[in-house]
Amino acid sequence: MTNVTRAHKKVSTQLSHPWSAKADWLQSATGILLGLFLLLHMHFESSILLGKEAFYQVVQLLEGGMFSPSGHGFPLVTKVFSVFMLLVVILHAALALRRFPAQLGQWRALRTHMKNINHKDTHAWFWQLVTGFILFFLVPAHLFTMIMNPEIGPHLSAERVYHDNAWLLYALLLPAVVIHAMIGLYRVALKWGLSSRRTALSNVAKMLITYLLCLGAASLITYLFIGSELGTPVQPFVPK
Amino acid sequence: MTQGRLLTFYIFRYDPQEPDDKPKMVRYQLTETPGMTVFIALNKLREEQDTSLQFDFVCRAGICGSCAMVINGFPTLACRTLTAKYPKGDITLMPLPGFELIGDLSVNTGKFMRELAERLKLWLHPKANDSDVHRLEDPMDPVEAARLYELERCVECGVCVSACATKQMRDTFVGAVGMMKIARFEMDSRDARTAEDFYHVIGNQDGVFGCMTLLGCQDNCPKDLPHMQQIAYLRRKMAMTLI
Repeated sequence: MTNVTRAHKKVSTQLSHPWSAKADWLQSATGILLGLFLLLHMHFESSILLGKEAFYQVVQLLEGGMFSPSGHGFPLVTKVFSVFMLLVVILHAALALRRFPAQLGQWRALRTHMKNINHKDTHAWFWQLVTGFILFFLVPAHLFTMIMNPEIGPHLSAERVYHDNAWLLYALLLPAVVIHAMIGLYRVALKWGLSSRRTALSNVAKMLITYLLCLGAASLITYLFIGSELGTPVQPFVPK
Repeated sequence: MTQGRLLTFYIFRYDPQEPDDKPKMVRYQLTETPGMTVFIALNKLREEQDTSLQFDFVCRAGICGSCAMVINGFPTLACRTLTAKYPKGDITLMPLPGFELIGDLSVNTGKFMRELAERLKLWLHPKANDSDVHRLEDPMDPVEAARLYELERCVECGVCVSACATKQMRDTFVGAVGMMKIARFEMDSRDARTAEDFYHVIGNQDGVFGCMTLLGCQDNCPKDLPHMQQIAYLRRKMAMTLI
């Protein structure tokens, strides 16, 4: 290989940026994974609305209760899964950083643009940016709690929400994550051409935001009520 | 004949050539006539009220793409915007952001488009065996011709560039017009460039992987070009090249 061809090769590999494609694809893939997980997660935790017994059964099922002789699940499952989700979140956040208007000039350009040009999807992205930034701090807080203290149950979760004051975290996390994830799923579908039915997608996203906010708020209030009725030290829920 | 309603225009005025001039909004009033477009109104204002008013136009029929400006917060063509669209009769006009300002509502989109074409090599690269100009061209499949023609409708008005927050934040981003034109040559069976060649040009943060799907291009394009589908197509194609 001559020096010239070596130099050419160097230039062409610099030009081809394989990481741009990989980063874009990975950001979308982790985003879809997190968005779909959120949809499941919200429904599992909201099973408390159907009663303590229902929530207890959901937890035992998800923590692998069928593999234990006593029928009780393993909190370790929650712990390991939380670590995995944290890694996915870190990857998604690192890739999403590429999109942040990190320089002051970029931020000013964005704000001026939004003031001068009336465009809904740009505003939607701005809210995704703001909620994304908030989630940098709130999601790790939530996941660290689940890694350090993975016990879940009708009484144990209520204790966390009410006595350990986690309701404050959840009250902030709920709107931020729901708005971020639903706008994100809408955008990612259009981005890769998974669907081009934009009006329908946008309506579904709006409906899901409203629905998930109501669902999450209702179950959070339920946990607060359950927590307020519990005496300390809190005893785990025992099914009848 | 009944008198038309009174329209109020708030127009951005600034001449960068004048050393003491400062950017300002100037108010003008004009009686509306039937079928009046913003373009007709601007000509009337210049004729009757202020001969120094600068704006661009050539065709007045949505073909040349010269009269693009921001009208009440929407970047679009002045010649295709009826004043009747605004029930209150208040119309604010700003020059397209993201381009060099010539003066008032006139911006240098031509300079931008030329630089973009040179940077992305937006012309047909014939195949090696196709250098004989006397040879009869192969007939093109009508379906392919129709697809190319759809993208050829771009008038280079610059609206997609102004409507794109990504482009406003990152100067080197090629914008929808660049990607539209690349897609046009990527689809052209006469072009010698391969997917890898196109990847070198737009397979990066300044190209298709820098686009955040804000869809300002899709929503404002006065020619209703399918930017959203086209960029998604390029993104899939470029990602496939790699994976």
